[in-house]
Amino acid sequence: MSSNEDPKPKDVTEEAHSPSSKGGGGGAYLLLFFLIGLALSMVVGWGIFPKVLYSTKSQPFDFNHKLHLEQVDDSCQSCHFLREDGTFSGAPRLAQCIDCHEQKEREVPWLIYARQPDCVFFSHAAHIKGAGVDCVTCHGNTGTSESLRTYQENRITGYSRDIWGHSIAGIKHNTWDRMKMDDCAACHKDSGSHESSVQTGRDACFVCHK
Amino acid sequence: MKLSRRCFLSLVAGGAAGTALSPLPWKLADDSSIWSQNWPWTPVPPDGEGTYTLSTCTLCPGGCGINVRKIDDRAIKIEGAKDHPLNDGGVCMLGLSGLQMLYGPTRIQTPLKRAGDRGQGQWKPISWEQAIGEVAQKLGDLRGLGKPQSLACIAAKDTGTVGRLLRRFMSAYGSPNFFRMPSVEDAYEAAIYITQGAIGSAGTDVNNADFILSFGSALLDGYGSPVRVFRANSRLKELNGTVVQVEPRLSNTAAKADKWLAVKPGSEADLALAMAHVIISNNAMNQTFIADQVEGFEAFARMVQEKYAPETAAGKTGLSVDVISEWAMKFASARRPLALYGKGKGQVPGSLKEALAVHALNALVGNINAEGGVWALPAYDYINWPDIETDSVAAAGLQTPRMDGAGTDKYPHARYLTHRIAAGAEGIEALLVAESNPCFSLPNVQAIRTAFEKIPFVVSFSSFMDETAMNADLILPNHTYLERYEDVPVTAGVTQPTVGLCRPVVEPLYKTRHLGDSILQIAKAMKGTVAGAFPWEDYESCLKLTLAGHWETLEEKGVITAAGYAPGGFETASGKFMLMNDDQGAVYMADDVATEGNGNEYPLVLIPYDSIRLASRYVGAAPFMIKTVSDAVIKGQDGYVEINPETAKTLGLADGQLATLTTPVGTAKVGIHYDEGIMPGVVAMPRGLGHTAYDRFLAGKGVNVNELIGFVEDPASGLDAAYGIGAKLA
Amino acid sequence: MKQAQTKHQPKRYGMVIDLDKCTGCGACMVACFSENNVPFKEDETDKRLSITWMKVYKVTNGKKFPDTEVCYFPRPCQHCAGQHEGHSPCVSVCPATATDYGMETGIVSQIYTRCFGCRYCMGACPYHARYFNWWDPVWPKGMERYLSPNVSPRMRGIVEKCSFCYHRYQLARNKAYTEGRRTLKESEYQTACTQACPANAITFGDLNNPDHAVHQMAQPDLHHHYKPKNPHAFRLLERLGTNTKIYYVSSREWVRKAGDNYQVPLTTDSHGPENSGH
Repeated sequence: MSSNEDPKPKDVTEEAHSPSSKGGGGGAYLLLFFLIGLALSMVVGWGIFPKVLYSTKSQPFDFNHKLHLEQVDDSCQSCHFLREDGTFSGAPRLAQCIDCHEQKEREVPWLIYARQPDCVFFSHAAHIKGAGVDCVTCHGNTGTSESLRTYQENRITGYSRDIWGHSIAGIKHNTWDRMKMDDCAACHKDSGSHESSVQTGRDACFVCHK
Repeated sequence: MKLSRRCFLSLVAGGAAGTALSPLPWKLADDSSIWSQNWPWTPVPPDGEGTYTLSTCTLCPGGCGINVRKIDDRAIKIEGAKDHPLNDGGVCMLGLSGLQMLYGPTRIQTPLKRAGDRGQGQWKPISWEQAIGEVAQKLGDLRGLGKPQSLACIAAKDTGTVGRLLRRFMSAYGSPNFFRMPSVEDAYEAAIYITQGAIGSAGTDVNNADFILSFGSALLDGYGSPVRVFRANSRLKELNGTVVQVEPRLSNTAAKADKWLAVKPGSEADLALAMAHVIISNNAMNQTFIADQVEGFEAFARMVQEKYAPETAAGKTGLSVDVISEWAMKFASARRPLALYGKGKGQVPGSLKEALAVHALNALVGNINAEGGVWALPAYDYINWPDIETDSVAAAGLQTPRMDGAGTDKYPHARYLTHRIAAGAEGIEALLVAESNPCFSLPNVQAIRTAFEKIPFVVSFSSFMDETAMNADLILPNHTYLERYEDVPVTAGVTQPTVGLCRPVVEPLYKTRHLGDSILQIAKAMKGTVAGAFPWEDYESCLKLTLAGHWETLEEKGVITAAGYAPGGFETASGKFMLMNDDQGAVYMADDVATEGNGNEYPLVLIPYDSIRLASRYVGAAPFMIKTVSDAVIKGQDGYVEINPETAKTLGLADGQLATLTTPVGTAKVGIHYDEGIMPGVVAMPRGLGHTAYDRFLAGKGVNVNELIGFVEDPASGLDAAYGIGAKLA
Repeated sequence: MKQAQTKHQPKRYGMVIDLDKCTGCGACMVACFSENNVPFKEDETDKRLSITWMKVYKVTNGKKFPDTEVCYFPRPCQHCAGQHEGHSPCVSVCPATATDYGMETGIVSQIYTRCFGCRYCMGACPYHARYFNWWDPVWPKGMERYLSPNVSPRMRGIVEKCSFCYHRYQLARNKAYTEGRRTLKESEYQTACTQACPANAITFGDLNNPDHAVHQMAQPDLHHHYKPKNPHAFRLLERLGTNTKIYYVSSREWVRKAGDNYQVPLTTDSHGPENSGH
């Protein structure tokens, strides 16, 4: 927001000596410009910025969760399950798809909405089995959706928009609207987890980090 | 309307206020901080399904079981296999580093044909068809000339299906010139044969001994099956057992031993025989065993009493008579004493006299073929292949004597005298090198390389670009042990016949081929009786057919042992343990092994030592291993030698300075490291450094001790028995 | 400092290292490198710059040949508790909340993305157990394939250290949760160095649990900052009051004295053949 205007020294002197030399409309003008600036930047900040910040990517193909959910016996766990060693399988591999579908050539490169940064250790086992948290609590109504949402990728961080949430202001209405560290911490606090961190008085850092 | 400065400022202020009220700055700050924590060049290892694959490590002869952790199709960690009879979950640094070799930059990824001069490292990738075809053509030509004996083969081992396929190929082809890389097994096999009439290796029951008298064996630096020996040592600590280490240097083993007997280099046989003298003089031997099962005791007793009084040995070893007597008696009075032969990890066969002397100590205390003692271990007998039909060319070739003279009247106790390649390779027209790196790990490596230069056709089957592969004409790269099936018979001192199964942990990463398949295909391409000797379709079917009933157990458990195996009686003519006869008399009467280089010109003795933090056989040390090596061993690129401060000071050498180390064989720039743990007059240097091949993490660091030391033939056996070499430092 | 509000007995993970059994072979170091994606450089001979979460030190008794004796000290992070639980030297100086003390486990954690590289913790650590990444880690092309997804690779400009293989604790708990359990068996959570040690010299477990081998071997005195009651056991630099969770056992008196070098003047050989000092 710079200007090419190069005011002459004379004008500067004039202005310095007569603060309201342009007459009675000066204050209104100033307000008008202030409001224009305010409005423009609000448009940029609230409207344009989010569009520029995120690139949209489409999934390899549109997956119908609802249709699949009706076909399987064990709801979400039919395809997204805890392995025997306690780790979580995540998005199904081709090997699972071909249990029902015909042989396909290669793995499907799904874009994962809920993928957290590498420093995060998230235990599905602890949440599902330990705390009895529903899938919906964090993943929303994906299971009953008929179509996959557009995947939005943050151009700076490379992470899915789901982490910050779709409200650019960071306002959340549902538990699954945002998945930042504060959201984890808030839920941990509410659920009465151990306040074992010497530094923060909350859960210890290593509980969720690696 | 003219935009005044104040209006403009107002606009900016409005913009600033609006921006602050919008998510832009806050979100940008947050995103930038996340961005700064996730540099795109910091790898993010992909997650997936975790599995384990049970296999066997082949990086040393130890044969430990390994359990390899995988994430999807990536191998991410090697762990010791729990409940394995040899290592039960433990694993050494070399075994842990295997993935750095699998995924490392020194892998040979496709068959290569030399493009420039030998050793220049210029290669042309070729197809497998061409590679097999060229070898078959060349070998076929030699047979056509009626010179099958001019083909030689050097391999790490002669057992197991791959070792046997190589030997079978040589036989079918018509050459007696199969060489095994030298090791202490050469001397142990000879000693077992001479004394017990048995053909096989020596099993040392370290797990049940309560007193171990080690003649320089690197129990804690990779001797035998390393983890097995470590466990035995820890067990002795728990049970208040005793370990005595005989060695001129305070090695790890000596440091952890209950008693360190610092002897002059090369005086071990004298010490062993003096101890025998003490035991016999005090009548402390196992009388029952001597009476019932030993032949030649009187002759032996006469010899030690005449020639090996402790007073004589005291001078030779540098130990006092009291110390020799004290520890000889402690050895004899232990419940299950065990004397071990073989210096370091056992890469040099050593003197047969010393091997026999140590073995005689075991016989005196009656622990031959007994619990906690030394067992004769026959080869695990699971390979029953049909006899080979040889054609006239092969039959004629096999009639020619071995070019190293092993097994002849002059050297009846040696099966292989592989070190002799350094003395010249005349007569070798073609050479196959499998899973060994003679151009690095044989003594007097310059002479070995010169000999290689004279061999017109050298084929390497190495998985890695090692020194020998660098000096080859053709490379037919083998899969690494993590990409292939193979039986791994373990002879490294185990007391139960043991075979591990090495199996593919990952799919082969590159265009490599199993050594077994390469041999089969070369043979098939040669047609006739050579092809006829190999009735198998491919290596895997050969392996499965050979293992037959064992296959399923091996697949499931990764290892089979002939549990409950106990050696039978002695296989000598009298059925007794032969403590002394004419053969042995000749060995005992033979001259001592002398070091090269006389004392005036070379006042010091350079001894190589083995460290478990370095690899000195077929594979080179991985980056992780080099990372753990002390800065007293390598600093920058310089290798350091250990020297007693007293000796160094008389030579005017300061701690940490660089100096020139000269031996009759070579000269090198080395750093000086003062160490109180080494005998004055002795200089020590580890094996496994000074590589010229491999990657930048290993190459060019330190000095290859094999460039400074040559072989010294044992007068009795012809085996290499060099324990050191005369040296000077300036 | 906030106190933990735990209703149940917290864990106190720790280690007992038998120096009589330790052979100085260094398998623990490489097991750690391999488990924790520890990087390596072309030249690792400047040991101040060489990242080794677990490091084997060599100490000699300073006597001349042939009376020289040597002992090896494997040194992971000592996971100090301090004089009041959680008052570890490093945790108390970290301005970035990057290093923390977990009251539930007694483990001192390091969160790499949180660290901004001020290195106060390195200055505070009396054991040189913390390492700074002066360079970005680089793996030769293709070698990054062996990296474990369970431990985040670090970047330039941050401090790292031994975590007691915390990810193994996380994974073991995953399995327990999946099987409907809340407690771990002793064997379920073991560090990589403990598992690899060919000499069985390292023992790992919960010092608070009388059933665990570490408790029996070290015999920590709960009323005196967990000082070992076993007369052969000691902790490094005990007199600093760091209240560490690594106990060493040795039958040799000079070795035990060497463990607290504030008590006895001692020659440490920083140029031992199998390791190096700082």
